Amino acid sequence: MVTETSATAENVTVIVDGKEHKFPKGTNLLEACQSVGAKVPFFCYHPGLSSPAVCRQCLVEVKGSPKPVPSCYMTVADKMEVTTNSPKVLDVRRQMLEFTLLNHPIDCPICDKAGECSLQRHYFDWNGRLARNEGVKVRKAKVVDVGKHIVLDQERCILCTRCIRVCNEVAKSPDLTMANRGSHEVLTTAPGHRLDNPYSLNTVDVCPVGALTAKDFRFARRAWEIFSTPSVCPGCATGCSIEVHASRGKIRRLVPRENPAVNKFWMCDEGRFEYKTVHDHRVMLPLVGGKRARLDVAVTEAAKLLRADGGSSPSRVGVVFSAGASNEDDHALLRLAADGLKTERIYVGGRPPGWSDAILVSADKNPNSAAVRAMAPTARTLEDLRADVASGAVTALVVFGNETLVLAKDKLTAVVALASHQGPLLASANVVLPVAVWAEVDGSFTNKDGRVQRIHAAISPPGESQPGWRTICALAGKLGLALDYTDADDVFAEASARHAFLKGAVWGPASQPVQLRFGESRG
Amino acid sequence: MADTAPTALESRRRVVFGESDVADFDDQDLPTEVMPLMMGPSHPAMHGTVRIALEVEGEKIKTADIQIGYLHRCFEKEAEHATWTQIFPYTDRLNYVSPMLNNVGYALAVEKLLDLEDKIPERAQYIRVIVGEISRITDHLTCLAAGAMELGAFTVFFYLIKGREWLWELLEEVSGARLTHSYVRIGGVVADLPEGWAARLREVLGKVRVAIGDADKLLTRNKIFRDRMDGVGVIDKADVAGWGLTGPIARSTGVPYDVRKDHPYLVYDRFDFDVPVGSTGDNFDRYLVRLEEISQSMRILDQALTKIPAGPIIVDDPRVALPQKRETYNTIEAMIAHFKLIMDGLHVPPGEIYSFTEGGNGELGFYIVSNGTGRPWKCRVRPPCFANLAVLTKVLPGLFIADVVPTFGMINMIGGECDR
Amino acid sequence: MAKIVLDKLIERFAGGEILETGSQHGNEWARVVPSAWRQVAEFLRDEPALHMNMFVDLTCVDRQPAEPRFDVVLHLYSIEKKYRVRLMAGVPEKQASIATLVPVWPGANWFEREAFDMYGVRFEGHPDLRRILMYQEFQGHPLRKDYPKEKRQPLLRRLPGSV
Repeated sequence: MVTETSATAENVTVIVDGKEHKFPKGTNLLEACQSVGAKVPFFCYHPGLSSPAVCRQCLVEVKGSPKPVPSCYMTVADKMEVTTNSPKVLDVRRQMLEFTLLNHPIDCPICDKAGECSLQRHYFDWNGRLARNEGVKVRKAKVVDVGKHIVLDQERCILCTRCIRVCNEVAKSPDLTMANRGSHEVLTTAPGHRLDNPYSLNTVDVCPVGALTAKDFRFARRAWEIFSTPSVCPGCATGCSIEVHASRGKIRRLVPRENPAVNKFWMCDEGRFEYKTVHDHRVMLPLVGGKRARLDVAVTEAAKLLRADGGSSPSRVGVVFSAGASNEDDHALLRLAADGLKTERIYVGGRPPGWSDAILVSADKNPNSAAVRAMAPTARTLEDLRADVASGAVTALVVFGNETLVLAKDKLTAVVALASHQGPLLASANVVLPVAVWAEVDGSFTNKDGRVQRIHAAISPPGESQPGWRTICALAGKLGLALDYTDADDVFAEASARHAFLKGAVWGPASQPVQLRFGESRG
Repeated sequence: MADTAPTALESRRRVVFGESDVADFDDQDLPTEVMPLMMGPSHPAMHGTVRIALEVEGEKIKTADIQIGYLHRCFEKEAEHATWTQIFPYTDRLNYVSPMLNNVGYALAVEKLLDLEDKIPERAQYIRVIVGEISRITDHLTCLAAGAMELGAFTVFFYLIKGREWLWELLEEVSGARLTHSYVRIGGVVADLPEGWAARLREVLGKVRVAIGDADKLLTRNKIFRDRMDGVGVIDKADVAGWGLTGPIARSTGVPYDVRKDHPYLVYDRFDFDVPVGSTGDNFDRYLVRLEEISQSMRILDQALTKIPAGPIIVDDPRVALPQKRETYNTIEAMIAHFKLIMDGLHVPPGEIYSFTEGGNGELGFYIVSNGTGRPWKCRVRPPCFANLAVLTKVLPGLFIADVVPTFGMINMIGGECDR
Repeated sequence: MAKIVLDKLIERFAGGEILETGSQHGNEWARVVPSAWRQVAEFLRDEPALHMNMFVDLTCVDRQPAEPRFDVVLHLYSIEKKYRVRLMAGVPEKQASIATLVPVWPGANWFEREAFDMYGVRFEGHPDLRRILMYQEFQGHPLRKDYPKEKRQPLLRRLPGSV
């Protein structure tokens, strides 16, 4: 992002549309123009990729240059005079659009990208003319399976090469290439390659038109039905910034959000499919002994079971943290363990580690392990938990998440599960309290670098599930510990006062889901 | 009093109050406490559903609290969530007896924001004037018919409603619906006049002339009608400005303000027509003004039908008007234009405008605020009958209950416009 | 079109009451400080060169997220001189009130009631400031931008003890 600055760093003076502005030396001219409100359309340029200047849509007039100049390829120079809205520039823009549209198929009614399509947007904003030519359009392949997740429509491709650069520069896997020339030029997979790299779906995001479409989202929803909420991916400890796209109460897809510090403009394919688990096999109702119960009854029963131990010292109640829970849930659980149950038997479980690479993917497949490590440094593993249960050191458990945990029921007098999904754990739980998942709550995650990032609620929690900290609050109340939380930011405030790793982290403003077409984030 | 022979009144008192001493009663003893009386909202004379909470002393009204809002359908809130073109059906339902005038008023407001005023094709402007004046005639016919019926003149009601029916048939030919036309679009109108429509209109106008002639003969010198309407519901000329009265109400008091004459829009400046102005501001004057306005509107229609040129009926800009279907299905440019116009709404540059036209009841204003997107930020209607109805809180006290009926009728409060 | 109105306003109110004036699409407008609302309105009505005697419209615009949040908007007309002007005054959300214009134009009564009903802006000195379009028990102010369009508030009167 460019900010106009008059700092002592080397600045150059540029006159844009008659007004003088100062920019840092080396600023891209297109970015400079955009930052001062001189809108310039573009297709092939992308701030996260190299700039080939192939689409020629960003042509502007620069004084002294005989021809219009592609602004995405130029850097600002001192005393440059740029015009972005003269009749000649507007005419050139119109002509470029006309060329681009010449062979573009009339697919809008069946194209996924309609509503978030750059071509539609730029045509409507910059070209007010109808077609001059009703000749026959070039035919190319329409539904080409180019990879595990992606379908290519060669006719819609406007040859901007953004996808090729994503594969080359971001995924470091040269899977795509252009073939043939002139009006027969097509996008295709490179010889011997398929579009199978772990960052392939980023090509669908950067594609300005509907040439590359995700098989997962193809024909699923229309862009204008979608509401977008900013959040953080829960797939691994990198914590890429994402947008959750939901419509009618269900999440339809996840797309990356720009974050220069973490993921720039990209996310991995695996992370994108994290949304699939949000709606399946959820625990929606409180259960006592396997039967549905009212929430207050279930919480009272859970407290009773946990107190049945008689308060022996050291306490024989174990508390299992989840590395996938938010900072707020972790803090509330820590308060419950330390001040409510007064136990030191803390364990942490999560998803097992997986593959990693040097680009974005971390081996730790949990979004918030750092928080648990910082809040409860003495937390032990699930192996230790199994040993403690077998030896009788732990006779009662409060388990957050970790629904795949299999417990020896005969050794335990009480298991209280704060669970979001169905799993083997529930069979051995005396009381099950439903909790909401990452996409349904306002909260925060701490990534592997210690960066605290905010998640926002995109949809409502199903059934009677609540944010974890709220359920813990109720449970703590029944155990005699008054936790004074009304909203998630109350939990956050208390947590950041007590834990060093949250120091300096900002809760930030609330975020309502924004209808996609007014969010200006796509197309 | 007991010395004289019992008068009819005394005999009546005896019957009503029993055989107690008649001498104990006199006029002052009749119950005269103030009685609250609810007129409406389900009252045949409370058109468009309105409640007038009256406090009466005998038959005389002491205070009148007019409670509106029964027909509030959140026009402004809906308009903030609809694209510019999607608002046209909502405007139909504002003053629903003259929907074309609302369509035209709204379209003119948005066109001003788009700087399209001079680019509207001439034929479209003439068509807008023609359908607008037909709507005005139907508005006045409805008002007079309903007003007459409430005073007992059922025959007049049927004559005038029959006239309205013929006009609605013509509007149905043009737009597809009798009342909810949605015929006007930003940049023009949606379809051209059908073949032979002009000739049919002239024929109908001839028949409507006969109908209002009959109504005139039956009412204007009718003693019953005159007694109910003359000198009743007088609105002071001095109140017009303070209360924001416009339209036939203002003109009946003697203020000759008509937007079509004072601030001509569309092609009204090319027509020769008069603006009838009353003198006393009572119900009868309002009746006469409306009756004469129907004739003047017919005069405008005659001239418009003669002068209307051939040509396109909507602006030729794919960023404003939907392209022809033939192009939409066969070229990508028109397909995209169609798509964006419908899904996003046409882009109106940021700005504000107060645009006003002469509606059936007076100055119909649209105050529109745009933030540059395909939906308005605010779309307010300045309803003429909102202000016109407010003056009744001053006019009604002092009248009899029975006078409320013609007075309220001649104000021509249309619920859809007043409450939106 | 009616630049004289703006000129006279600037001439008469030189103490900073007129924040901004402008002309757009043939509409003249002036933004005034809320504390000078009634003064400016009376001046426009009484000034012989302007004689803007006709009250046309009074409404509110919710400019969220800009501050001040509400703009009270008044439209005036001179029947005699045919001038029009739009007056705007910004009132903040926490102190959403402004002087009433009912003593100046009696017709402002219902318009101010509607602005109060729809936006929650109070008019100081109004003789009868109650809701006009919504029922009296309605909670909230519907035309505010944060009032969701789909929210339903059916008016149901329940007898005590009934379900």
